Amino acid sequence: MEFLQQLVNGLSLGALYALIAVGYTVVYGIVQLINFAHGEIFMIGGFGALAVWLLVPGESLSIWMLPIMLIGGMLAAVGVALLTERVAYRPLRNAPRLAPLITAIGVSIFLQEFVRLFFGRIPGFPDSKRAIPFPQIEYVTGEAFNIGGVTIQRAALFTLVALAICAGFLYVFVNKTRLGRAMQATSQDPDTARLMGINVDKIIMVAFALGAALAAVAGLAHGLRYTNIDFKMGFLAGLKAFTAAVLGGIGNINGAVVGGLVLGVVESMATFIPGQFGGSAWKDVWAFVLLILVLVFRPQGLLGARVVDRA
Amino acid sequence: MINIRRLVTPELQQRYNRQGRILGLVGGVLLIIAPFLPWAYSSDALDNMTVLGYPSPLQFFGLALGVIISAFLVLQQALTQRQKKRVRVGWVPGAKAAATGALIYIALILLSIAAELGGLVNIVYGGWIALVGALLAFIGTRLIPAGRTPTLAAATAPAPLEILAIAVMMAAALFAAAFALNHDDAGSFVTFIAFVGAVVAVMIRSGVMGWLSAVSQRYRKVLIFSAFVVAFMFPFTQGGSDANMSIATQVMIFAATAMGLNIVVGLAGLLDLGYIAFLGAGAFVAAILSRSAFSTVGFHPPFIVVVLISGTVAATLGLIIGSPTLRVSGDYLAIVTLAFGEIFRISMNNLDGTDGPLLTRGSNGIPAIPDLVLFGFNFAQRHELLGIPLGRFSNYYFLLLLVLGLIILVFTRLNNSRIGRGWVAIREDEKAAEAMGVNVFGLKLFAFAGGAFLAGVAGSVKAHQDISVTPDQYVFLESAFLLAAIVLGGMGTVLGVLVGATLLKLMPEKLRFVNEYRLLIFGLLLVLMMRFRPEGLIPNQRRQLEFHEEDEELAERISEEIAETGTVKGAT
Amino acid sequence: MTTVQGTGTAALSVDGPILVAEHVTMRFGGLTAVDSVSFRVMPGEIVGLIGPNGAGKTTFFNCLTGLYLPTSGRVVFNGQVLPPKPRKVVQAGMARTFQNIRLFSNMTALENVMVGRYCRTSAGPFTSIIRGPKFRREERETRERAQQLLDFVGLGHTTDSLARNLPYGDQRRLEIARALATDPKLVLLDEPTAGMNPQETRQAEELIFKIRDQGLAVVVIEHDMRFIFNLCDRVLCLVQGKALIEGTPAEVQSDPRVIEAYIGTGPDDAAALESELEEGQPDA
Repeated sequence: MEFLQQLVNGLSLGALYALIAVGYTVVYGIVQLINFAHGEIFMIGGFGALAVWLLVPGESLSIWMLPIMLIGGMLAAVGVALLTERVAYRPLRNAPRLAPLITAIGVSIFLQEFVRLFFGRIPGFPDSKRAIPFPQIEYVTGEAFNIGGVTIQRAALFTLVALAICAGFLYVFVNKTRLGRAMQATSQDPDTARLMGINVDKIIMVAFALGAALAAVAGLAHGLRYTNIDFKMGFLAGLKAFTAAVLGGIGNINGAVVGGLVLGVVESMATFIPGQFGGSAWKDVWAFVLLILVLVFRPQGLLGARVVDRA
Repeated sequence: MINIRRLVTPELQQRYNRQGRILGLVGGVLLIIAPFLPWAYSSDALDNMTVLGYPSPLQFFGLALGVIISAFLVLQQALTQRQKKRVRVGWVPGAKAAATGALIYIALILLSIAAELGGLVNIVYGGWIALVGALLAFIGTRLIPAGRTPTLAAATAPAPLEILAIAVMMAAALFAAAFALNHDDAGSFVTFIAFVGAVVAVMIRSGVMGWLSAVSQRYRKVLIFSAFVVAFMFPFTQGGSDANMSIATQVMIFAATAMGLNIVVGLAGLLDLGYIAFLGAGAFVAAILSRSAFSTVGFHPPFIVVVLISGTVAATLGLIIGSPTLRVSGDYLAIVTLAFGEIFRISMNNLDGTDGPLLTRGSNGIPAIPDLVLFGFNFAQRHELLGIPLGRFSNYYFLLLLVLGLIILVFTRLNNSRIGRGWVAIREDEKAAEAMGVNVFGLKLFAFAGGAFLAGVAGSVKAHQDISVTPDQYVFLESAFLLAAIVLGGMGTVLGVLVGATLLKLMPEKLRFVNEYRLLIFGLLLVLMMRFRPEGLIPNQRRQLEFHEEDEELAERISEEIAETGTVKGAT
Repeated sequence: MTTVQGTGTAALSVDGPILVAEHVTMRFGGLTAVDSVSFRVMPGEIVGLIGPNGAGKTTFFNCLTGLYLPTSGRVVFNGQVLPPKPRKVVQAGMARTFQNIRLFSNMTALENVMVGRYCRTSAGPFTSIIRGPKFRREERETRERAQQLLDFVGLGHTTDSLARNLPYGDQRRLEIARALATDPKLVLLDEPTAGMNPQETRQAEELIFKIRDQGLAVVVIEHDMRFIFNLCDRVLCLVQGKALIEGTPAEVQSDPRVIEAYIGTGPDDAAALESELEEGQPDA
C-alpha cells in the first residue's frame, strides 16, 4: 500500500517535471542549447497566473478562473521566453558553446531577481520576496480522494490530467501539423530545412513558445499543488526537469514525458532507501546522482536521443 | 557614441578644426579654474567643496582632467607639426577621451550634490562653470579630426625610466585603491570610479597604455614584484582600521577562488558551475578539524596539515566530479557540475546527526572556529609594524595574499607549459588533440582536481577568517558569481580576473543602494558581456580569437603582435 | 639530413612489416563500411590507398589509427596489437593528418607543432610549476625541434603566424609537420593534396619523398591518380569496403577491374579516371 501511495505521489510529481522537461528537449532538439533559464519560465508561468487572478476583482475561487489564469500564465511565460530568445540567445547562435550557456545562466538569475524585486511593487500585489499563497481554486484543490487506502490530492490529479492533455496535443502538433513537421525537419538538419524553405527563425520561436506554454501549465499546477509559489521555485524544478529530459533522451519529446514520470517515481521511491540516507531530505541528492549516472553510462537516455554531443 | 560619430562627420571636423581647438582649450582652462571656486552650498555633500581657493580632492581630479585636455591640445600643436617621428602619441584621441570623461565626471558630481543636498539649487556657480568647461571641451575636442592611430607602444626609453614608470603606475593603483575604499559615501565612490575610468581611457586612447603594457612585457619580474609590494603595502594605508580590511580580505578570498576557477574555465575550457563546493569542502574540513567547541571529530592537527587535508579532500571531490568528462563534454558537463554543487549543498545540510551522520551540524554549520596561530603568530591580535597598527583582518590579508600569489603562480606557470598547450589544443579541437597524442581525459581531470585543490586551500583559510562555516555560503549563486567575475574580467587572464573579482565584490560593499539590485545587475551583466564583449574587459588574445572566429582583421592584427612580441598575450 | 633524428634508424631496425592489418571489418548498423581488408606496410615504403567515393578509405584509416574499434579483425603495429585509443596509437608511432584540415586554428604554427611533441615529452604539473632545469631543457628542446620541423616542411618563415591565417596549402603542410612532431614510424596522410594547385601538389610529392627518405613509412589516401602512381611503391584499391587489388602502380593501373569499379560509380568519373590513368603512365 505504501508502495502504491509512493507510486502515485511519484507519478504526479513526475507529471510536473515532464511538463517542464518538454521545453528543454524541444529547444535542445533544434538549437542544441540547454536553455538554463527554462526553470524561470516555469516560475513566471506561475506568477503570470497569479497576477491574472489578482487583477480580476472579487478574489473568486470559481473553477471558471482556471482557464483565465492558465491563459494569463501562458501569455506571461511565452512572452518572456520569446523575448529572451530574441534578445539574448539569437545574437549568439554562431558563438562558441560557452557563450549561450553563460548567457542562459545570466538570464535565469535576471528573471528570478526581476520577479523578486518588481512583482510586489505593482499596486495591490503581495510582497514577492517571500512565498506567496496561491489561490486554491475549487474542484481542483481541496479534500483529497481516497481510493482503496491510497490518497490522491486533487491538484496531483489535475497535474496528471493536464500532462495527458498536453501530451496528446503535442503528439498531434508534432506529427500532424505543417508547423510540427517543419519543426521535426529543422531538428534533423537545420541547414537542409532552411534550403527547403522552412523559416528556421520562426521554428525556433515556436519551439521556445511551445516549451513556455507547457511550463506555464506546470507553473499553475505547482501553485495549486503546493499552495504557494515563490521566485526561487524555478531553479530546482528546472534542474530536475532537465534531469528528466536527459533521462528520457534529450531532443526526444516522448522521452521527456517518460523521463519526467520515471524521475518523479524514483524520487518518491527514495523514501524506501533504508538507513539515514533515505527519506525526503536526500531525495534531491538521489535525483541528481541519477542524472550523473545516466549522463555517464547512458548519455543517449532511456529512449535514445537524436544527437547527444555535438560539442 | 555611435550617434556622435554620425553627427560629427570627418568633413565637419575638417572645417571646424580651428574652432574646435579653441573651444577645447577654453573648456580645459575653465576646468582648471573652476576647482578653485566653491561648487556646493554645504560641505555635507561629497567632500568639502564650499571653499574658495582650496580645491577639495574631488575638485582636484576635475582640475587634473582640465590640465590633460589643455596640455594635450597644446602639445599636439607644438610637437607634431615640427617633426615626423616614428613614434606617434595620440594627443587628440587622448584629449577627446579626457573631455568625455570630464563631462561624465562633472555631471556625476553635480548630480551627487543635488541628490545629497536636495535639489540643483545647492550647486554654486563654481560647479556650473566646471560643467560649462567640460561641455565646451567635449564639443571642441569632438570637432577636431582624430588623426592617425598612436604608435607609442613601439617606443623604448632607458631602462631606469621604464622601471620607474612601472613603479609610478603601481603607486597610482595603490593610491586609487586606498582612496576608493576610504570614501564611504556612494557619491564619492562613484565619482572617483568615473575619474579612474576617465584616466584609463585617456591612457588607452593616447597610446600610453600600449606603451605601459609593452614595458610590462619587458620587465615582467619588476612588474610582478612591484604589484606584490603594492598589495603588501595596502594594509598600511588603512591606519589600523579593520572596516576596510574586512572587505579587502573578502575580496582576496573571492579573487583567489576565481583564479582557481579560471584554471578550469579559462585554461581548460570546462564550464564548472559547482566550483564553490570545493571552497566549501575546504572550509568544512578546516572547521571540523579546528579546535572549535562545535567540531564533530576528535582529530585536530596543526593548520599546515589541515591545509593539505582540505586541499586533498577538495581535489578528491574534483576527481569524482571530473570523471564524467571521459564520457560527457560541453553543456552536459556544466550540468553535471551544477548537479554536483547541489548534491554538496544538500549533503552539508543533511549531515546534522538526524538526517545523516553528524559531521557538519546541518544548516547551523560550525561556529566559533578559533583564530589561527601560525609559528607563534596569533592572528587574533593586533600587531604594530613601523608604528602602524595592523588588526586581525590585516593578518589574514597577508596570509591570503600569499595564497593568492601561490594560485597566480600555479596559473601562469601551468599556462606557459606543455600542459597549458595541451589545454589550448583541447579547447580548439578535442578530437584532433587526442589524435595528436594529447592526454585529453588526463588533462581535463587534472584541471578539475588542481583547481579544486587550490579552492580547498583557500577555503581552509576562509573558515578561520569567517569564524563560522555554514552551508548557505556555498550555493549555486556563489558559483555563478565567481563565473561572472571571470567573464567580466576576461577568461584565462590574471589581471582581468583580479579586476573582475575586485569590481564584483567591492561594488555591493561600497554602494549600499546597489546591494539590493546586486544579483539583478550581475545577471544582466553576464548577458550583456556575452553579447557585446565575450572576451571580457581585459581579454586574453587567444580567447578573443575563439570568440570571434569570423573576424579576419582581428586575426591579422593579433598575428602581427605575436610576431613582434613572440608570445600570445593575455596570461599576464 | 638529420632533421628527423633517430626515427629512421629505429624504423629500419625492424625487419618485418611495420603495420599489419588482418581482416579488418567495420560495420555501422547494417552497413559494412570496411569488409575484411588485409594490408601490410614495410618500413620505408610509400603505399597508396585509392578507391571511388564511399569505398571506405577514411573509415579504414580510422580503424588503423584507433578512432574506431574494428568490428572484427586486428591491427598490429610494430609487433604489438594496438588498443583502440588514438593517443596510444600515436604513442606507438603512428601519426596522421585529416581529410578536412583539423589544425588548432588559434595557435601559431610553432605552437601547433609543439602540441605534436606532447606525447614525447613528460613535464608534469610539479616540474611545470617549479620550473626546474629539466623543465627548461625540455621546453627549449621542444621549441627547437618544432622549428626544425617547420623548416623541414618549408614553413620556417611562418613560426609566429596563426594557423588560421595560413594559406590552404601551408595548412596541409603544417598538419604534416605536426604529425611528424610525434616521432612516428608511419605517417598516414588523408588526401594531402586535396584542393591544391599542380605546383603545390608537386611540392607535396617532394615532401612525401623527403619523409620517406628519413626512413618513415607513408600511407596516402588520394583521388589524384597521377599523384598516387608517381609517388607510391604499392597501391591498394578499395571498392565498396573490399580490397579489390593490391600491387605495384603498374599492375593496379592496368587492371581492368579497377576501371570497372570506377565505371560503376558513373560514366563521368570513369572517363576522368581513364584519362588520368593514361596521363599517369610512369615516364610517359
